[in-house]
Formats: sequence, C-alpha cells, structure tokens
Amino acid sequence: MPGIDIEGVAMRFGQVDALKDVSLRVPEGAFVTLLGPSGCGKTTLLNIIAGFLAPTRGRVLFDGQDVTGLRPEARDTAMCFQSYALFPHLSVQENIAFGPRQKRLERAETARRVTGLMEQLGLAPHAAKLPNALSGGQQQRVALARALAVAPGVVLFDEPLSNLDAKLRDQVRTEIRDLQRRVGFTAVYVTHDQAEALAMSDTVFLLNGGVIEQSGGPRDIYFRPRTRFAADFIGAANLHDGPISGGAMDTPFGPVPVDAPDAAHRTLCWRPEVVRLTEAGALSGKVAHVAFQGGWLDLFVTAGGQTLRLQVSGTHDIPEGATIRFDIPREAVVVLKDGANA
Amino acid sequence: MWTLPRLQTLLASLLTAVFLLWLIVPFAMALLWSLVDPGTPWSYPDILPPALSFERWTLMWETTTLSTAMFNSYTLAPVAAVTAIVLAAPTAYAFARIDFPGKAAAQIVTLTPLVLPGFVTAVFFASILVSFGVYSRYGAILLGHVVLFIPYAVRILTVSFAQVNQEVINAARDLGASGWGVFRAAFWPVLKPGVLASFLIVFILSIEEFALAFIVGSPSFTTIPTILFSYLGYDFIRPNAAVVALILVVPNVLLMLVLERLLQSANPANVSGKG
Ligand SMILES: Nc1ncnc2c1ncn2[C@@H]1O[C@H](COP(=O)(O)OP(=O)(O)OP(=O)(O)O)[C@@H](O)[C@H]1O
Ligand SMILES: [Mg+2]
Repeated sequence: MPGIDIEGVAMRFGQVDALKDVSLRVPEGAFVTLLGPSGCGKTTLLNIIAGFLAPTRGRVLFDGQDVTGLRPEARDTAMCFQSYALFPHLSVQENIAFGPRQKRLERAETARRVTGLMEQLGLAPHAAKLPNALSGGQQQRVALARALAVAPGVVLFDEPLSNLDAKLRDQVRTEIRDLQRRVGFTAVYVTHDQAEALAMSDTVFLLNGGVIEQSGGPRDIYFRPRTRFAADFIGAANLHDGPISGGAMDTPFGPVPVDAPDAAHRTLCWRPEVVRLTEAGALSGKVAHVAFQGGWLDLFVTAGGQTLRLQVSGTHDIPEGATIRFDIPREAVVVLKDGANA
Repeated sequence: MWTLPRLQTLLASLLTAVFLLWLIVPFAMALLWSLVDPGTPWSYPDILPPALSFERWTLMWETTTLSTAMFNSYTLAPVAAVTAIVLAAPTAYAFARIDFPGKAAAQIVTLTPLVLPGFVTAVFFASILVSFGVYSRYGAILLGHVVLFIPYAVRILTVSFAQVNQEVINAARDLGASGWGVFRAAFWPVLKPGVLASFLIVFILSIEEFALAFIVGSPSFTTIPTILFSYLGYDFIRPNAAVVALILVVPNVLLMLVLERLLQSANPANVSGKG
C-alpha cells in the first residue's frame, strides 16, 4: 500500500496546458479526492499516476521511489474508468479474472479472489453474463471488482459514479469507502461532485485550470475556502467586499464580525448555514424569497440592493416580506486570498 | 387496414422475391444450358433442352485449362487478401490512432488506386514489373492484386482500429497485460469483423480481377476471369460458357456463406466496447 508523491507535474497537449506545476502528497492508505470542474485536468493527473501518460515535467513517486518512467503494467495501481472499460467479449467472471490471469497467479488463488469479490459486490448471480447484459450499477461493480482482483496498492477512480442515479450513487459510494477500509488500499478518487468529495475523503484537492487551488480536510475546505473559486465551487457562499476596521466589516445588513486586522479592501466569505436567527442579532434584512427544502429552509435576504443566502432549519416558518435579525459567528467568517486588494 | 408493420412485411417479402428471381433465373438458365447434350442442340422454339447430359461438364474439365485457372485464382486470392491485410494494418493503425503531420493528405493518397481505371493501372504496372525484373507471372499478378486492393483493406481496417476504445486498452495494460495480451483483449474482438470483411472483399476483388491478370498473364497464365473471357470472346459457345460460369460461381457462394457466418458471430455491436 504505497503513499504517493506528485512533484511539480505539468502536462501539455499541443497548445493546451492541462496541468501546470501540480504537487501533492497522498499518505499511505488514505482516501483522497481530486475535485474540480470539467476540463481542469483531473483525468490527466490520474492517467499520469497510472502511467498511461508521461508528464511533460515533474515526477511521480510511490513510497519515495521514482516511477515516472515505469509502464502502467509494472505499477501497483488499478484504475476504475469513467466509462467502466469492461472487456465486452468477456463474461463478468472472466473480466474479474483478467488481471490475476495476466499476472500468472495460481489458478486456485484466482478463483478464490474472483468468487470472493463477486460475493462481496453482489455479482454472483451475474457471473456468466456479458457486460452488455448488466445495468450501469452492476457494470460499475464489475469494474471495481476487476480492479480489486489484482490486489492493488493504489486504486484510481475516475468519476466512477457519474453514470448512476442518485440513490445508487449513495449506496455504491458507501460500498467503495467500506471496501477501502476493509481491503486496505490507497485511493485517489476523481469527481466533480462536491458532495461526493466532502462525504468520502480524508483530503480534498481542489483543482482549477490545471493547478491545485486548495487542499485540506472536507471541513476545512468547506468552511474555510481561501479563494473565490473555492468558495463558489464547493457549495453556496456569501461574499462581502469592503474595508475592515475594528474586527468587523460594515455592510448594508450590519457589521459582519471577522478575526482580521484592519485593512482598506478585503473580501469576506461565510457559508449560509452558519447563521443564527436571533431577535438580538446585529444584522438584519428583508426576506425576499423563501424556498422550503424539507430538512432546511433557504432564505434570500436583501438590504441595500445586496442579497444574502441563509440556511436555517426547516422547522422555522418565516413568511416572505418579513424583516429578520441574525448573527454570524466571528470564527465562521474567512478572508479570501484573491479577494479585493488582498 | 394497412398498418405500417404489415406494409413493411409486404415490402420486405416483395424485395426478397425480386432478389431471388434475379439470382435464380440466371442461375437456372446457366444450369440448363450447361446440361445441354452436345449431340442434340437446344434451339428455338423448344422451351426446354430436348436432351440432358453431363457430357459438357466432363468435356470442359478434361480438355481445357479450367482446373489450372481455378488453382491459380483460388491460391492467388487468399494469399493476396492475407498479404493486403498484413500490409494494410500498420497504416490503418496509424490513420486511426496516431496524429501526424500530413495525415489527411496521406489518407487521400492511399485511396487514389480506387479511382484509377483498372486497365490504366494494369498497363503501367506490367511495364514497371518487367523493368524491375519480376518475370514470374504468378508473383507479378499477386503483387499487382495486393497493390490494387490494399486501399480497401486500409479503409476498412482504419474504421476498425478507430473503434478500439482507448480506455479498454488502458484497462488491459493496467491489469498487467503484455503487448499480446492487450491485443487479444482490447484490439482483436473489435478488429475481427473488419479483418474478415477486408479478407472477403480483397478475395472477391482478386477472384474477379481481369485487366491486370489479362495483360500480365495471357495467354499462357490463366485465371478464372481470363479463361471466362476466352469463352465469351470470339468463339462463344453458350453451353460451355455456362459450365465455366457455374464452376466459377459455386466456390464464391460457399465462401460468402462461411464468411457471413463468421461476420455474424463477430457482430461489432457486441464488441466495440462503447457504453
Ligand atoms: N489527449 C489529449 N489531447 C489534447 N488535449 C487533451 C488531451 N487530453 C486532455 N486534453 C485537454 O486537457 C484538459 C484537461 O483534460 P482532462 O481530461 O484531464 O479533464 P477532466 O478534469 O478529467 O475533465 P472531465 O471532468 O470533463 O472529465 C482539457 O482541456 C482537455 O481538452
Ligand atoms: Mg475526466
């Protein structure tokens, strides 16, 4: 189970810089996600780790060993592909046995692994079927079983759940995480779904335009975004531009508290659900629109031509047009690095 | 009521009937003509030949070079087909899977033999062969057929190679497959129909090729089309020509049936690996 180090990796396709100087570290046995919008270089980075692409610059290390020039078949990785990439002429069983057979594993051991994985992933009833005869979720599981059958130290996932419906996605997501803990492998998981990234990862690497915009634990990356992009891409965010003085920024809603020294121009950011509704609140605004979401309530509050998004428990019943007072905890407000004049 | 499915069934059966007539009528006529007894000619106004015998068949087989011509054609065709496929494969691979400068131009150039009239190519090809010192008729025609029909193989195989899913190739490598393992798992299932189709097409084109075989080979070296020509030419004897035509058509039909079977078992929809 190797740890992975990416050192200053860049990848250029003709005129396109798919990756520009990416460095990251994946500890042994960790589950990390590469999160980012379409075209930000996620698949490219995964292909470089797997060995399908040679980076234009930089190195890839497994446990400190330089593997940059190593062929994919010689690396301790297995990939779950975006399109599954099952062998269409081989049955489920043969697909799963493909890796062990190529690696000339003993017959009995191959059979043991294949049966074991089919049991674990509920594929036993489909053993003899061709991939064409399976549903998307089943194909996804075959792809997973096929990758795990070679007992890899690193499993690379390329948006494995993007073709599944919401319910199945939740289920397979949990299965993957369970399996990773049980079997024990280092996982690099690519997704453009922030909820998936937050729910699954030990560490999230947020990619944008071929560079790592921010990395950290799910809570850290969600509640303490460092850039406008990070604030925007991961969930909803409220932003304020202006001067900070005496530990607060004056806004049309009232003073927003912040733990930062005085400055002429800054951008503050906080998440909608950190808000506390209270009669004694220092901030106030008029409720322009209410959206009931079941578990929670989205409030769109205006003042001085600006709109904020607040999220409160769904048990509140607040009419549109009401004026509400609220507080924002000081520790929940962050100053963005690429905000005004920062 | 005329429902759409019924209309479709009707049209399909009609079409099948027309095709059958179109195939069977000439075939039956040829069969009848080939069985005409040499002693009692079939002439107007008889609707059917007055006497039938196999005498023409034995006569033709024994007195002509038909067997040699068949041997020539039926060894030339598969060898030409296999050679064309082997030579076309690397080019097709490059066209389908590698980007290189001048690719579009190269693709057009490889197709030009298709638009040149066969006789033009044949005449110049014959003289080139002689100046290169290739005097073997068999070798010359083989070479000629390979050169003439390689474009078809390139064209078909390019499509096949393009259908191979890169992610399936990557998956095979990722799971530890060597070059041969990758070929078997990712390439061959997708290429198979294209290879069979190329084989079939080059085989049939070679069997039917006349211009080059005639210019390079005649009069001493015969292939099926050139010998057929000699029966259709100046001294046209209908029953004899019918015998030749029938002998020629039977192996082709068998071949078609066999390859059709193979093609069906390798339906690209099952193996393209898309989706
Ligand atoms: N083989 C290639 N040739 C040229 N450009 C490429 C190639 N592969 C990727 N690119 C470009 O590199 C950039 C990053 O591509 P990549 O596939 O890594 O994105 P991604 O983050 O995986 O996106 P998605 O979420 O849509 O899968 C894109 O602009 C893409 O067009
Ligand atoms: Mg991708």
